[in-house]
Amino acid sequence: MIGRGGRALILLYAVLLAVLFLMCSTDLVIREPEKEIYQIAVIIEDDRGDNYSNFRKGMDQAAMEFNADVHFITLYEKLDADQQLELMEREQQDGADALIVVPADEGRVSGKHAAVPVIFLYPGFAENTGAGSIVTDYRKMGEELAREMLDGAAKECTVLELIDTDSMGDVDSFFLEGAEEVFAAAGYSSRAVARQGQEGIRAALEGLEAESGGKALVLAQNPEILAETAAIMTDNPDLAEHVEGLYGRGSTLPILNYLDRGQITGICVTDGFSTGYLSVLAAVRTLEGDGAQEPVVMESYYIEKKDLRDPACEKLLYPIE
Amino acid sequence: MLKGRLLLFLFLCMFLSACRGGQKEEEKASIRIGISLYRGEDTFINNICGILEEKAKEYERESGIKVVLDIQDAKGSQNVQNNQVERFISLGCDVLCINPVDRMDASVIIDRAMTAGVPVVFFNRQPVEEDMNRWDELYYIGVDAKETAVLQGKMVVDLYREDAGAVDLNGDGVVSYVLLEGETSHQDSLIRTEWSVRTLKNGGVPIEKLTGGIANWERSQASALMEQWLAAYPDTIELVVSNNDDMALGAIDAMERAGVTGVNVIGIDGTTPGLEALESGKLLGTVSANKELYASVILELAASCALGEEPPEEYPLEGGTYYWTPQEILIRENKD
Repeated sequence: MIGRGGRALILLYAVLLAVLFLMCSTDLVIREPEKEIYQIAVIIEDDRGDNYSNFRKGMDQAAMEFNADVHFITLYEKLDADQQLELMEREQQDGADALIVVPADEGRVSGKHAAVPVIFLYPGFAENTGAGSIVTDYRKMGEELAREMLDGAAKECTVLELIDTDSMGDVDSFFLEGAEEVFAAAGYSSRAVARQGQEGIRAALEGLEAESGGKALVLAQNPEILAETAAIMTDNPDLAEHVEGLYGRGSTLPILNYLDRGQITGICVTDGFSTGYLSVLAAVRTLEGDGAQEPVVMESYYIEKKDLRDPACEKLLYPIE
Repeated sequence: MLKGRLLLFLFLCMFLSACRGGQKEEEKASIRIGISLYRGEDTFINNICGILEEKAKEYERESGIKVVLDIQDAKGSQNVQNNQVERFISLGCDVLCINPVDRMDASVIIDRAMTAGVPVVFFNRQPVEEDMNRWDELYYIGVDAKETAVLQGKMVVDLYREDAGAVDLNGDGVVSYVLLEGETSHQDSLIRTEWSVRTLKNGGVPIEKLTGGIANWERSQASALMEQWLAAYPDTIELVVSNNDDMALGAIDAMERAGVTGVNVIGIDGTTPGLEALESGKLLGTVSANKELYASVILELAASCALGEEPPEEYPLEGGTYYWTPQEILIRENKD
C-alpha cells in the first residue's frame, strides 16, 4: 500500500519527467546550434550559363561548405541592364541576404544602391567595389593573348578580329582593346569583321585569300564566335588553309575539344571555379560581419593544345568539386 | 449564450482558414524546382537541361511566377544523387525533377520525397514500375525506347529499299555492321539494340554483325572501340549502329583518324553535335525526340505539381503517370 507521501513523490517524479521532456524538446536544455542558411542570388550578364559551368561548380562547392543557398540567374536578354536591375530588386524583396552580380552595364548596375551586400564580378578594375569584388582583367588578357599570337608570326600576316557588335559587353571591349594595343605597337594592322551569323564568318574567312593572298591570324571576340569559327574551319578545310592560327577566350567543352583537335591554336582562360568559390566566400564573410572585402584579382592563363594534358591545366579546365 | 460562442468560434475558424489560404497563394508567387542529372556531361541531358532553363524563363515571363531551378550533377553516383535530393528537400524545393543514376534504385529518392510530400518528375531514365506505382505524385517523362529503335532501323530499311548500294557498300549482298551499345543497366540500351536490329532483319536488309561493344553512351569509349574494330575488320564495316549520337560521333572520330570514309553511321537523340554531323554529312541519320516538347512537359508538369494543380491537360499522361515524347527520323538528304 502506497501512502500519501509515496503518491506525492510519484506525482512529483512524473511532473519532473514531464518538465524535463518539455525542456529538452523545446531546446531549453539541449540547444541545437542554429545554422543560418544564407540566401545568395547570383545574377550574370548573359542569357545563358554556358560560359559559367566551372564558375557554377565553384559556387556550388562554396555553397555546401559555407551553408549558403545560392541561386544562379540568367537574364532574358543578354546585357540587358534594366532587367538586371529589376532582378536585383526582385531578389532583395524575395529575401536574398546577398547578391553576386556580373554587371551588364558597369556604370548603371554598380551604381545602384542595394539594401544587401553586393559582390561584383568586374571585367577590369573599378572604383565602386561594393561589399567586395572579384576582378578579371580582360584588357590584360587581350594583351597577353595578342603577344602569344604574334610570337613567331610572319610580318606579312594580317590580323582578323571576328566580332559581334550586337552583343559587345564590357568584357569583350576590354579584351579587344588590350589585344589591339599590342597589335598596333608591334606594327600589325588588325581588321574587325562583324559576324552577322555563320555566313558572315564564312565570308570573312573566304575573303582572306583574295585580300591578303597570305595567311591571317584570327581572333574571336567571345567564346561563341570562337567555337563557331572552329566548327566552320573543321567542315571547310579549304578555308582553314588561309588561317595561320585561330585564337580566343573561354573554356567551354566545344572550345576545349576544338583546341584538342588542333582547330583552335590558343585560348586565354580564367580560373572559373575559384572565381565562383571566392565570390560566394566573399558574400558569406560580409554577411558574417567581416565588413567589405578587399578586391580579389584573378589571373588569366594562355593555353595551347600541348598544355591540355598538364595536371595543373586539367585542374583549371576540368575542376572536380 | 452557448450558441453565440459557437458562432464566434466558427467565424474565427473561417477567418483563420481564409488567412491561411491567402498565405498559401502568396507563397506560390514563386516555385522552386530541384533538378538532379545523372551525368551533366551527357550531351542529350545537357541539351535538355539547357532548354529547361529557357523554358523556365519563358514560364516565368508568361505566368509571373518566379521559377528557381537548382540544377545539380550527380556525376554517375547514386549516393551523390540521394544526398542532392536530401538537400533539395531541406532547402524547401516544391518539386523534384530527377534523372536517376540507377533506375533500379530510385526507391531511396521516392521514400524521401514521399516523407516530405514533394512530388517527383523522373525523366530520361525510367524507374522500375514497382517504384512508380508507390505514390500518385510520381511521374515519368521520356521516349518510347522501342519506337526509337524501330525508327532507327526503319531509316536504313527505307534507304536500302530505295538504293541497296547505298547501304551494301561493297555489293556482296550482305550489310556488315558493328554495334555500339549504351550502359547495360539502362533499359533503353537493351531495347534500342534489340529492336533496331530486329527492324533491319524484318525489313529485309541482309545484315551480318561483325562485332559490338558497350561504350556506356560515351564518345571517347566508342571512339576507342571503333579504332580497334577498324584495325580488326579493315575495309569490311559498312554500317555503324549506335544506341546514341555521342557514340556515333565517337565512331566517326575514329574513322576520321584512320582516314576511313563512306561508312554509314546511325545514331539516336538528335543532339546538337549529332545534328551538326548530320548537316555536314558525317552522320547518315538519327532519331530525334522533340526536345523542346520534352523540356516543356518536364517544366510544366513540375510547375503544376509545385502549385498543387492538376497536370496540364495538353500533355496527356498515360495511366496518369507517363508521358512519351514524340520522335522523328532525321536523315541526311543527299548521300554522296
